[in-house]
Amino acid sequence: MTVARQVLQAVARAAAGARRVRASQPGGALAPPAARATGLAGVAAVLVAFGFLLGASSLLTLEEAVGLALFAVATNLLVGYAGLVSFGQAAFYGLGAYTVALSWQHYNWPFWLTFTLAPVLGGAAAFLVGLVALRARFLYFALLTLAFSQLFYEIAENQYHFTSGANGVFGPMVPSALAQPRAGYFFVLAVVAACLAILWKVTASSFGLTLRAIRENRARAEALGINVFRQELIAFVISGVFCSLAGTLFVVYSQSAYPELLDWQQSGYAVFMVVIGGMFTFLGPALGAVIYTVGQQFLISRTADWQLILGAVLLLIVLFRPDGLAGLADSAARWLAQRVPAVMRRGAPGSKAPPRVAPVASASEGEPQHAARVPGDERE
Amino acid sequence: MTSANSGAGAAAPPPGPAPVPVLLEARRLVRDFGSFRAVNDVSLRVAEGTIHSVIGPNGAGKTTLFRLLTGIHRPTSGRVLLDGRDVTGQAPHAIARRGLAQSFQLTTIFPRLTVLESVQAAIVAASGHRADFVSRFHRSTVPEAMRVLGRVGLADHARTLAGTLSHGDQRALDVALALATKPKVLLLDEPTAGMSEAETERTIALIADLVRTGGITVLFSEHDMDIVFGISDRVTVLHQGRVIAEGTGPQVRANEEVTAVYLGGSGWGMQRDA
Repeated sequence: MTVARQVLQAVARAAAGARRVRASQPGGALAPPAARATGLAGVAAVLVAFGFLLGASSLLTLEEAVGLALFAVATNLLVGYAGLVSFGQAAFYGLGAYTVALSWQHYNWPFWLTFTLAPVLGGAAAFLVGLVALRARFLYFALLTLAFSQLFYEIAENQYHFTSGANGVFGPMVPSALAQPRAGYFFVLAVVAACLAILWKVTASSFGLTLRAIRENRARAEALGINVFRQELIAFVISGVFCSLAGTLFVVYSQSAYPELLDWQQSGYAVFMVVIGGMFTFLGPALGAVIYTVGQQFLISRTADWQLILGAVLLLIVLFRPDGLAGLADSAARWLAQRVPAVMRRGAPGSKAPPRVAPVASASEGEPQHAARVPGDERE
Repeated sequence: MTSANSGAGAAAPPPGPAPVPVLLEARRLVRDFGSFRAVNDVSLRVAEGTIHSVIGPNGAGKTTLFRLLTGIHRPTSGRVLLDGRDVTGQAPHAIARRGLAQSFQLTTIFPRLTVLESVQAAIVAASGHRADFVSRFHRSTVPEAMRVLGRVGLADHARTLAGTLSHGDQRALDVALALATKPKVLLLDEPTAGMSEAETERTIALIADLVRTGGITVLFSEHDMDIVFGISDRVTVLHQGRVIAEGTGPQVRANEEVTAVYLGGSGWGMQRDA
């Protein structure tokens, strides 16, 4: 018996060691806050500059990417932070879009009213779906969310008299000011920026910490006094609110809503963006959304098999970089932080006079501990 | 004279001259898994401020008993009382919030949280800030978390990812998580399992220290009898799901049935005597 237990423990130990252990929250192990703030400001500046520089068609693509970034980050609150792989977030995305479109078509409600109503409805729907779906775990949870999403899809497709069925709803449903590409882009950018700030606050909060603890070890979290079901339901509702809001942004740049928004494929795209971007970083999924949208635009005009290529990319990332492109970028940054100062100190290989204590040394002062860890540092 | 009882429903008198309040009580617990009765009519009274150990060979029902006490399993029959309140059938998180914390036999931690974050999560879990998604309450818990980590000897590993700790350190973290919730009763399921002798000594010393200075009541299980005698105020012996003896260490050691189980074929408990 004792032997059996020791074998079990050895296996558990080996599994724990073999598991790829990575930091799950930006900060700490990743870039220092100052560098992050600078990087963020840089990205924001570039996005704003694009608003003035790009032509209408490119701007529309970027607008779509920014809108989808919110959809992806909201989905990742479940996938990456809570460890809940939902294949039904399109239900809330489509619900947001249809809320705006149908209220306009049937009741002529103003956009600003429905724009604020949509997240409320999205949250309420997520609450009901979550009550049921969160009773199940893992695959069964994913299947239940998928089933709900398809239910929404069937309703949108079949209730022709109300939803116009597969044709969808088209028309000038957003204020004419927002229909301008530039104004629309800045509106979407501002809304997404505000939403991401809120979501960041949520993930960095005490609630976010309990969510990550649940993801890591559900039974342990429960034993510590965390009501796992309740926390997951709250996360599900928050995600539903922001997925729905992302759906309203879709209407802003497409002036339409149609059943495919509710389809499981749409949910799949969100998970795709999360995975290629990196589920263990807050903004990874946003990066995934941009790459997905721009990549799709690029590929679709060149090959009919664009989905095949995206599939291959997904496969490669899942196999080799489960932490996504954000993880890859992080590794690259670390690698550079280690190599560059060392190489600069030693001089390029083959150069005659390696400047050991040169002015450049002060430039690398911030990274002495990194440089010291380079394995080949002692080699001459 | 021995107070060790064979059979069921043994309501042992509390140790010491003055009656000490009972903090955790099991009343005639039964748990069946199909036709297998893993826990058979077990009663247990853990007095406040004491170290109470449950010993027995592997398969005696220790872990199942603990799971009944913590709410992971529902008893087939019987009651569990925590601080005078009936908590039978309540969810684990609800029982935890009433002041019962546990560490697990197979180490269960949060592999991709840092050691500090893990303890912070435990403090948040025990606080009223579980659904706090605006402020960052957990940031104010750093000093307290560091104090808990210092107590189990992990302060130097605060920024390490929990999953990369050594096995012994992971077990220490497991205990730290339980401690961080400031429990009234701490349940430790074979806390020294898989530990080296030095680690075992450190853990036992920690348990003794917690009770002496921390005002905590500890119930822990162990399959090695000799480890528990030194520090336990009271020992309950389980065998095949039933209580075969209960009393102080010397009383249990002198008990004939216990001796029979010890020496007769089962071959447990003596490993560390060598």
